[in-house]
Amino acid sequence: MNITQLPFIKEIYGFLGQDLVAAVIGILIILVFVPLNSAFLVWVERKVAGHIQLRPGPMEVGPHGILQTLIDAVKLMSKEMITPKLADKFLFWLAPIIIIIPAIVCFVVIPFSPLMQVREMNVGILLIFSFSSLTVLSILMAGWASNNKYALIGAVRAVAQNVAYEIPLLLSTMSIIIMTNSFKMSEITAAQSPVWFIVYQPVAAIIFFISTTAETNRAPFDLVEAESELVSGFHTEYTGMRFALFFLAEYTNMFIAASMGAVLFFGGWHGPFFPGLIWFVAKVYILIFVIIWVRWTFPRLRFDQLMNFAWKVMIPVALLNLMITAIVLKVL
Amino acid sequence: MGPLSEFKKYVLEILTGSKSLLIGMGITFKRLFMPIVTVQYPRRKLTMTQNFRGHIEAIYFDDTKSHHCVACGLCVRTCPSHVIKVQGEKEKAGGLKYGQKYFIDFTKCSLCGLCVDVCPEKTLTFSHEYELVYLSRWDGVIDIMRRLEERP
Repeated sequence: MNITQLPFIKEIYGFLGQDLVAAVIGILIILVFVPLNSAFLVWVERKVAGHIQLRPGPMEVGPHGILQTLIDAVKLMSKEMITPKLADKFLFWLAPIIIIIPAIVCFVVIPFSPLMQVREMNVGILLIFSFSSLTVLSILMAGWASNNKYALIGAVRAVAQNVAYEIPLLLSTMSIIIMTNSFKMSEITAAQSPVWFIVYQPVAAIIFFISTTAETNRAPFDLVEAESELVSGFHTEYTGMRFALFFLAEYTNMFIAASMGAVLFFGGWHGPFFPGLIWFVAKVYILIFVIIWVRWTFPRLRFDQLMNFAWKVMIPVALLNLMITAIVLKVL
Repeated sequence: MGPLSEFKKYVLEILTGSKSLLIGMGITFKRLFMPIVTVQYPRRKLTMTQNFRGHIEAIYFDDTKSHHCVACGLCVRTCPSHVIKVQGEKEKAGGLKYGQKYFIDFTKCSLCGLCVDVCPEKTLTFSHEYELVYLSRWDGVIDIMRRLEERP
């Protein structure tokens, strides 16, 4: 059944025009999807971690512990939100709000299937990059406002790390963009209907994957919240629902990073037999599984190793890859 | 070292590094499908090995249909934590003493096993009890003689 044929929806359509209704429905779906997705991903993470370490992971709440994270969310919501005495009260309050907004905004341009995209934009990829860069601002805000040495060290590391890894991330994306001549997510997806871009651009794909892992502050690049040295980094002082928002943002950013990877290198919604939505979601979750798998395999990098790797390996290789792509495109 | 061999070293480092990372990921991927070693405790229980050291208990001997404790008090004196209390009695004057009451305060026991080693009648041993929950400090006092009577 077409949702637009419902009498109630039809009336709103006539009153406001189709655009606004699409936006409202899209945002509602996103707001429901984001927390559920995070709860599911936390469960997957704990399960994968468990099985890699020959443990079962959460088992008690629901079948195989699938409801565990929902219960945890309820617990976090009922907890007291403590603000430290010497914290910057306003920034401390603002930081978790600022970290969740870009995570939600980025969903607007993600093409789940040929029809399921909240808003088509000419600058879809730029929008995702610019909004996900706001995450680091919020981390710095949280770390600074907490008035805690561990939080501040974590935040400073986050800034240095994100500045370093944004460059190879953008360079590897650039080599895709000069192949497609478009910033539109849907056009980039449409351009890889016979062959996925990972076949043409394997080096860019690897660089993109490593950089997004670093951008989302995931292990082995999780120096921002290195719990063995910094308690838990920038959100050391956060409790209750504010802490939950940071957690939510981390897993939502993972989803966005993985869906960017799926769109840029794995053909987005393209695939045989099944509808586009299923292919897209399957690709995204496989990429997320790889991110989790990497986290539970490798130890954390030291800070100088992290920086050396970014500036001495990632950026030169990404530049070289971009140059070769440009020359090959010019010659062909 | 010339610049060319420097470059060669740089490329080799990236390649060998990537290879070792892939090997590591292979190891963890295999682990994903290995059987789990954790025992889900209330649903599955392990049988303790013979040399598991729980709190002490008296051994049942068939010849006396009871323990061999003579209430000599060696275990009381050797205990570094002063955990053991023994009371013995004689059936008649000049007869043999035997242990009638034997209590340990398990909350203070350090499980050193000196009492088991020192016992001249070899009537003490370690139990295989590990499910111990106390709601008060006095619940930790274990009546060894009653345990012997109530043994399965």
